[in-house]
Amino acid sequence: MVIRLFPARRAAVHRVFFPLLVTLSATVIIIGKVDRVALEPLRISAMDAAAPLLQALSPPTAFFDNAFEVARGLVWVYRENDRLKQENERLLGWQQVALKLSIENAQLRDQLRVAPDPSISFVTARVIASSGGAYVRSVMVDAGRGNGVARGQAAITGEGLIGRVTEVGTRAARILLITDLNSRVPVLVEGSRRQAVLAGDNSERPSLYYLEAGSTIRVGDRIVTSGQGGIFPPGLPVGVVAALDGEVPLVEPYVGLSQLDYVRLVDYGLANGLPDPLPSARRADRRARSADGGRRSGAERETSRAVLSSYARP
Amino acid sequence: MPGPDNCMERLLPVTTMILAMLVSIQPIHIPGYAAVAPAFTLMAAYHWTIYRPDLLPALALFIVGTVQDLLSGALPGVTALTLLLTRTILLGQRRHFVNRPFPFIWAGFTILSVGAMFFLWALHSLLAAELLDFRSAVFRAVLTISLYPVASFLLARSRRTLLGAS
Repeated sequence: MVIRLFPARRAAVHRVFFPLLVTLSATVIIIGKVDRVALEPLRISAMDAAAPLLQALSPPTAFFDNAFEVARGLVWVYRENDRLKQENERLLGWQQVALKLSIENAQLRDQLRVAPDPSISFVTARVIASSGGAYVRSVMVDAGRGNGVARGQAAITGEGLIGRVTEVGTRAARILLITDLNSRVPVLVEGSRRQAVLAGDNSERPSLYYLEAGSTIRVGDRIVTSGQGGIFPPGLPVGVVAALDGEVPLVEPYVGLSQLDYVRLVDYGLANGLPDPLPSARRADRRARSADGGRRSGAERETSRAVLSSYARP
Repeated sequence: MPGPDNCMERLLPVTTMILAMLVSIQPIHIPGYAAVAPAFTLMAAYHWTIYRPDLLPALALFIVGTVQDLLSGALPGVTALTLLLTRTILLGQRRHFVNRPFPFIWAGFTILSVGAMFFLWALHSLLAAELLDFRSAVFRAVLTISLYPVASFLLARSRRTLLGAS
């Protein structure tokens, strides 16, 4: 019952090698922070390489998940049944309203000759990995460029918006959730048409910033995408104002972001909606500057400023 | 002395590290889980650094940590740095833990995870240039610490079965 001591030779190697690895980690952190795009090829390759393995692991994970759901379902089955019955009654009423409105809407559109919405195509993908840890909110899905997924597409479920595609590999893609610290979505308060920016902070409830001054907002107000910035189409349901944290309204997303299973990646025909990542824009800018000897047109400056402001955080 | 280990057995610590990494990026459908996901790789790294540091070299920690960050979408390097610092701190104190009863080892893990979670919180706050929510770091530490006995049991079982060491 003796445990092997750390051999002297290994200790010597460790002394040299270890500081090297620590320095390397620190360098990677700094590079990743300064130029997020620099490590993107590495992230995409890792994602593509791990996708088949993560897909293979899905059934066992699903088994445990189902077991957990069954156990929870058994505990709450009566209460859940009551709730569903009530909800069903309410929804049947809404269904009638919706049918009536959709017919009326079609007739009115016909009368007004409204241009039809651009054709929408979508890909359904399964979530195969999520970010464990407190400091990032994203998921990986098992569809990539080969399936028609592209950067900037909106990720939705039946209930509403969950985020957008930020990295695309050949067979996997990453979705930045609306709760992530780096997520900013232009939204409006439904009904009043007041605009705001929905900013994630890694918590379950993102906050509304840049609300027009003097506008009142109440708990229960619905938040939908505004379509500003051209990344998301207008009118996608996002969430509902759940609480007011002092002056800042907190939004409860319609979609339970910890319960994601299948998601839809939707191409609304808003190609090139997502601006180039900042550093590559900077690189292009630098190239342009070296090409014309340092002179930049006002338009170019405007573009880079627009790109910058789209990344600005409150 | 443990007998001569064959190749497969010698790969056990690295294999469990990779498994721990895969478990930590699995999408678990428990509400609020993401914010408090336990640090499974930290548990495996702690266990093996105490019992068989020779089979879990710093390079393996670096690679597993980096791949975990790349796959989870976190800032690459953060997990690797945390695991490497864990290893170096633990190697200095290892003689206090070897051949000690489990509560002693668990207490050591408690101190280490609190330190690691605080380090992660401080690092991310520094990189984000704002004070991030401290509560999720606390919950994460609590969950990681409370799940350690289970992880330790499984790791010790696999170690005794395959490596023959106590």
